[in-house]
Amino acid sequence: MALSKDKAEATGTLVVPEPAEVVEPLVVPNTFWTSTSPDAYTGGHEPDHTHLREFEASGLGSRDNARWSGPLEIIPTKADYVLDLIRMNSLWPLLSGLACCAIEMMSTATSRNDLDRWGHFPFRASPRQADVLIVAGTLTTKMAGPLIRLWEQMPEPKWCVALGDCTCSGGRYKRSYSTVEGIDRVMPVDVYIPGCPPRPEGLMYGMMKLQQLVKQRRGHWPERAIGPTVPQDV
Amino acid sequence: MTTTQRPSADDPRILLDQEAGVFEPVPPYPPRTEREAEFYTLGDGEMFLNMGPQHPSTHGVLRVVLKIDGENVVDLDPVLGYLHRGVEKLAENADYHQVISQVDPLEYVSSLFNEWGAVLSFEKLLDVEVPRRAEYIRVLSAELNRIASHALFMGWMALDLGGLTPILWSFIERDEIVEMLASLTGQRMLFNYFRIGGVNGDLNHDFMSRLGNWMSRATEQIEANQGLLNENEIFVRRMRGLGPIDTKTALRMCFTGPNLRATGVPFDIRRAHPYSVYPELDFDIPTRVEGDCLARYLLRIDEVKQSLRIIDQCLHQMPDGPVIAKLPRLLRPRPGRAYAAVESPRGQYATYVVSDGTDQPFRMRIHDPSYIHLQSVGLLMKGNLIADTMAIMASLDPIMGGVDK
Amino acid sequence: MDRRFKTRLEAHFGDRLTGPVRQRHDQTEIRIRPGDVVPVMTELHDNPDLRFEFLADLCGVDTGEVMQSVYHLWSDTTPDWLRVIADGLSRDDPRVPSVTFLWPGAEWMEREAYDMFGMIFEGNRDLRRIYMPPEYTSFPLRKDFYLPDDAARSPGGGYRHMEQTHFPANTPSATVRRLPGSRQLPSVK
Repeated sequence: MALSKDKAEATGTLVVPEPAEVVEPLVVPNTFWTSTSPDAYTGGHEPDHTHLREFEASGLGSRDNARWSGPLEIIPTKADYVLDLIRMNSLWPLLSGLACCAIEMMSTATSRNDLDRWGHFPFRASPRQADVLIVAGTLTTKMAGPLIRLWEQMPEPKWCVALGDCTCSGGRYKRSYSTVEGIDRVMPVDVYIPGCPPRPEGLMYGMMKLQQLVKQRRGHWPERAIGPTVPQDV
Repeated sequence: MTTTQRPSADDPRILLDQEAGVFEPVPPYPPRTEREAEFYTLGDGEMFLNMGPQHPSTHGVLRVVLKIDGENVVDLDPVLGYLHRGVEKLAENADYHQVISQVDPLEYVSSLFNEWGAVLSFEKLLDVEVPRRAEYIRVLSAELNRIASHALFMGWMALDLGGLTPILWSFIERDEIVEMLASLTGQRMLFNYFRIGGVNGDLNHDFMSRLGNWMSRATEQIEANQGLLNENEIFVRRMRGLGPIDTKTALRMCFTGPNLRATGVPFDIRRAHPYSVYPELDFDIPTRVEGDCLARYLLRIDEVKQSLRIIDQCLHQMPDGPVIAKLPRLLRPRPGRAYAAVESPRGQYATYVVSDGTDQPFRMRIHDPSYIHLQSVGLLMKGNLIADTMAIMASLDPIMGGVDK
Repeated sequence: MDRRFKTRLEAHFGDRLTGPVRQRHDQTEIRIRPGDVVPVMTELHDNPDLRFEFLADLCGVDTGEVMQSVYHLWSDTTPDWLRVIADGLSRDDPRVPSVTFLWPGAEWMEREAYDMFGMIFEGNRDLRRIYMPPEYTSFPLRKDFYLPDDAARSPGGGYRHMEQTHFPANTPSATVRRLPGSRQLPSVK
């Protein structure tokens, strides 16, 4: 449907397509996607659609891991404990509200259900300054790329919270042609908060669970799995 | 799969390559349309700035490519689709009863209007008579939702201009209303309350007591919230004269709702094409003539006051009776078409449903006001500064769930 | 239901209508040929007797055999909504003249109809995809674009014949409730 690039480069001018060239309706029968087939979740091949695995294997991501590295790692020190307490009580979320759950996230962050009590109030606009990515709202295939960029841009240590049914599993849009059925297909998730939309108390509970994870260093990056961890016959 | 064969672009599994998510403002293919060619041609001293799908403005995932000359925006091109969930297609595979819950998340801050538009069109298709008590409850809950939506608008308007306090205040108000509606409908946001032929459940004691408490202080609270912003010199000077639009252009751009009424046209679907029990209720249609951001903002505050009047009248005139008409579970309307429009806080929210005699709608078209209003952002933005982009978009009050369906 | 409106419409557009003027509840519907869209819309918009200056909605409909472009208009000369259906677009090459010369706000509505159906609006300056990514090749709301896990397994049963197509092979046909009188499923091999 797009014009060939050669034409534009050859003439050096802007090529405005004539009406006859605007579209060639290609109706592709939808044979790719039968979600009850065993290939559906992995597509018959590994989920290498992101390069998060190579990124992680290359060790670039763990360069600034903010841990005591080497042999000291196995000794939990008092400094470690204090560091974890500091981290868990000032997790700054990234302002990445996609859809309806964003309103509930905002509702949790504001006066009546105050997320500031746990230190989570500053919703940073820039991923470079954020700790937690609370994905609130349906992830569509078009938005998946930018969301993964956001995740990659966040520096370690970082955690991901899936807020709402659409991010946990696709939710009410599971059968749609343009949504991603759960963000754990594309990024590792630490806490799942179901609900459509979850009540602010639900989000608060989820954030408290996340704080426990942070404190116990359970949700750490190399051990988290990318991809759905739902067993095969579910 | 180790080959480099790229699956089809229609594969719903996402495909991320190196370029995914890195936004070159200029698309890599040659322009396909006249407008694209016009937009992606840089003049002297101009550059592109990409305001990506994630940005601190709270409207949602909207990507705007700005063509700027210094700090002035020369042109802008919104890119949508980051929240396109395929609701119209899913609606074709659902029953008439199920579809109502599908249209909730479109304009998620004013869900009851989405449901109302859908339910009204189904009732026209099925020739259903809605009991009067149900109509009054619908109007009551919908006007509460309108107030909640406008309270949110006020907060977002200020947030996009940089003020962090009003959003906290407006969320207090919104939380109260939303908890009220939760005691009535069971849900804080995507209510799923309207049914074909009525509503899901009658008013209950919890709702009435909360409503009474809130109504007794609603007016003072609105005055207090208003006083925070209306006399704030920075707010007023930034918004006055920003993004003006005149009546003729607004009609040609298919504006509806508060955006159209701010230009001087007193067009309100509740009066122009009345539905439900609005003919029996006494309220005014606020109109302003300036057509700029400040007019749109003040108009919505006026609408909140009118909504309070309507709620008051509903409470006094509430008749007794059933709250839902008796309908079979398997609904099969005659083949036909129906169009119903309601006045949502953003404008005309309409549903066009085509029925083919089966129990699923054949085509359900949802006309969303935010989608239409977002077209004119480019028109309103000419010559303004980058920081005003957000102000103008906020004043048009789009909700990306409705824009992207 | 405005009966006089019907006679007025027939007086203005008698020869251009391809069907009777239908009225139901508060809507009046006329059907025209796609080639007549420009003169009919201009007449509806400019004529001081009609004054349909407000375009409420523009959408596409895929009936399975043909496609339609449906316009909803509002005027203060009549209490009814006017629905104009430009009927008879072929499903292989649906082309309709655009109404953006009258209502520039129709541009995005036509873009959406193009994105979802493949309808080409001649005269629209910006006919490109709006919801789906630009490299997408199918048109999702067409009737031959099937959702996964499609309606064949819903309680409605996949009544329409276009939905009685291949469905996941491990669905036992006994569990799919069919409406009486509909075709049997292909047997699972």
